[in-house]
Amino acid sequence: MALVDPWTVREAVRKSLPALAIYAVLLAAYFLIPGKSQLFATILFYALLGQAFNIFMGMTGYVDFGYVAFLAVGAYAFGVTAMALASLGSPGWTLIPLGLLAAAGAAMILASMVGAIALRLRGAYFAIATIGVNEGLRYFFEGANILGGSIGLYIVKDLKTLFGDEGYQFMATIAADLLMFGLAGFTVLVTAWILSSRMGFALQAIREDEDAARALGVNVTKYKVLAFMTSGALGGMLGALNWALKEGVLEPETVFFIVYTVEAIIIVVLGGAGTLLGPIVGALIYIGLNYVSNVYAAPLLEGIGIKASGLHLILLAPILIAFIIAAPNGIIGLLRERIRNPTIRRFLV
Amino acid sequence: MQGQNKTLLIAGAAIVVLIILAAGYFLFAGGGEQPATGQQQEEQPAAGQQQEQQQQEQAPPAEEKIVVGATLSLTGKYAKEGEMSLLGALAAIRWINDNGGIKIGDKTYMLELKYYDDESNKDRVKSLVERLIKEDQVQFLLAPYSSGLTAAAAPIAEKYGAIMISHGGASDKIFQQGYKYVVQVLTPASRYFVSVIDLVKAIDPEAKTIAIVYKENPFSSVVAEGAKKYAEQQGFQVVYYQSYPADAQDLTPVLQPLKEMKPDIIIGGGHFADGQLLARQLYELGIKPKLVAILVAPALPEFYETLGDAAEGIAYPSQWEPGVKFSPDNVPPGYEWYGPTVDEFLQYFKMVAEERGKGDLVPSYHAADAAAAILFLAKAIEMAQSLDPDDVRQAMNDVAIFTFYGKIKIDPETGLQIGHEMIVGQWQNGRKVIIWPPEAAEAEPLYPMPGYTG
Repeated sequence: MALVDPWTVREAVRKSLPALAIYAVLLAAYFLIPGKSQLFATILFYALLGQAFNIFMGMTGYVDFGYVAFLAVGAYAFGVTAMALASLGSPGWTLIPLGLLAAAGAAMILASMVGAIALRLRGAYFAIATIGVNEGLRYFFEGANILGGSIGLYIVKDLKTLFGDEGYQFMATIAADLLMFGLAGFTVLVTAWILSSRMGFALQAIREDEDAARALGVNVTKYKVLAFMTSGALGGMLGALNWALKEGVLEPETVFFIVYTVEAIIIVVLGGAGTLLGPIVGALIYIGLNYVSNVYAAPLLEGIGIKASGLHLILLAPILIAFIIAAPNGIIGLLRERIRNPTIRRFLV
Repeated sequence: MQGQNKTLLIAGAAIVVLIILAAGYFLFAGGGEQPATGQQQEEQPAAGQQQEQQQQEQAPPAEEKIVVGATLSLTGKYAKEGEMSLLGALAAIRWINDNGGIKIGDKTYMLELKYYDDESNKDRVKSLVERLIKEDQVQFLLAPYSSGLTAAAAPIAEKYGAIMISHGGASDKIFQQGYKYVVQVLTPASRYFVSVIDLVKAIDPEAKTIAIVYKENPFSSVVAEGAKKYAEQQGFQVVYYQSYPADAQDLTPVLQPLKEMKPDIIIGGGHFADGQLLARQLYELGIKPKLVAILVAPALPEFYETLGDAAEGIAYPSQWEPGVKFSPDNVPPGYEWYGPTVDEFLQYFKMVAEERGKGDLVPSYHAADAAAAILFLAKAIEMAQSLDPDDVRQAMNDVAIFTFYGKIKIDPETGLQIGHEMIVGQWQNGRKVIIWPPEAAEAEPLYPMPGYTG
């Protein structure tokens, strides 16, 4: 019913417009600003990471410290699909739909398994249980010596078999990024639809007071698991595109890497948890500041004789702290509090 | 009040951001390479400067420099190694510049390093590598530190046809992926323990059994696999082959069986923290074989500082050690001497380290690896007599040099290093000494290790 409800559709479209516009600008920048395409691709990756993470963490308030496992599992599923298709001699293009399907599927299976156990826990207990999932999976891959064990899965050769040398170059450098833009648009629509539908209201109720929501008749478990699986599936596809297709090497050590989860939390909180624009704005600020301080500010300090490692992070940290203190509800949260103009408010979703 | 405070904070944050942006713009507009240039050229001895000035009179200044790019892990989990790579590369570059630069035809080029910190994160590497190639106009790159990071950088370097020299990626697998412009200067992981096994075979025909205990991570797994294969080829019996988790805090369960087995030799390890743990717990458990050789950790001076007696007699394979005796007098056939002597390298390393306030650092092999990458590149450019990456890559196939780092020569097909051999070092009386190969050795091996009970 909710799917075809005209109000929901109208709301979802309205809500998705500002985010789609930002991605369109990013896409234009990707092509038009020379020598910076990978910077915009990195921003895109982190915006997507934040968005996918936000669907669960931002909307329900549960912090999943093992989130990166979804990306990693998705990347591995994509990698295995690539190896299988290469050995079968399938045409290259089949990898994209099949690989993404496998990635989303694997991540959803993981989400339902983790969800069935960990979603019974709340607050810090949930967070701790999910850290265990990520580290446990990593040790499983390494210890059980499956899919390359700790050495990792190298699929560059298989990708070259599928696409040819030239084709691989194109896939790894341009096509992977364009597919990520496509995934970004899809993620925006999914998020906007959730925010406008019954599910969004239910999730918000869970975030505010889970017991009260349950008492009011909200099927708490159903919505939590749904959100968790959606978030996981999007993460799985992101990992597949950014790591498997783009880099072609999957090491457990660098894909089950908890820093990505921490960065996702920073991005979501910085931009505004539970909002649609929040993670995108958060990624722009986080990666933008990181790049500027790394590429411009640190060499400048070196130039005047301050030679040390990590200068740019020393610059970055206080700025991030200042942002969080000034805007505890994120940039979008702050703007919503401050701006009274109804026309602008309509776009702050 | 609350609202005012908030506004102030926001304004403050905004101002800081603006300052950084303005600084960035200033740098960008004023030629992004300025600071690095100043740093490189300012303190050069007069000879180098004169030469450069002469050159400036003949040719437009823009053609005077060859900029080598690098993303280095100056922070994050590879920070220790990254810092060493930076200093090593700077030392080699300064030596080359002080000794006449690189000559192509009748023109002389000075080398310069342009680098960024990749935070040991592969999703930083991509944008930085692209920036180095497209905006800093770099054709030659030092690869990032680990294999995972190298894999992230490779497609981008390949796309733009820039050469990437791997000085910290010892993985063999990277070189089986068909990259055209990625080459390696250090001994690949699969051959790390070859020298240790050769040493034992040469001095102790009695030794028959080897135990391999290694950290579960990409690097040490390949090392262990290669070691097992080579040991078996050489007639040893691998009696124990066991890994431990990367973050292990206690290796007792893994080490316990060794008390019964009493292998002649124990080899293994991974990176720094776990290698130290391995040595300490072997000592505490009283497991004393004839020789213990551990990866990475014993090569760093902190190893002895932390472990004291437990470090005594521990051997390690190393890409390089400051005490190696490689010199222009013992160049092997088929190779030609190139670059600084060991003493010159140490002197230049100290010079660049002091400028960064790290004057008391002793170069580790990471520093030598990076320096070797620079020397290998410089030699290839000189042989190619061209700055075109394709010509230089072609010339790299023919480079066979003997340096302060030992032999350097790549496999033309894959770019894998086939010339360089590991040396074996050992802690003796609180000092690291080189015990193998004979032509690089400073001392006799301490064999069997102190405390060996048989």
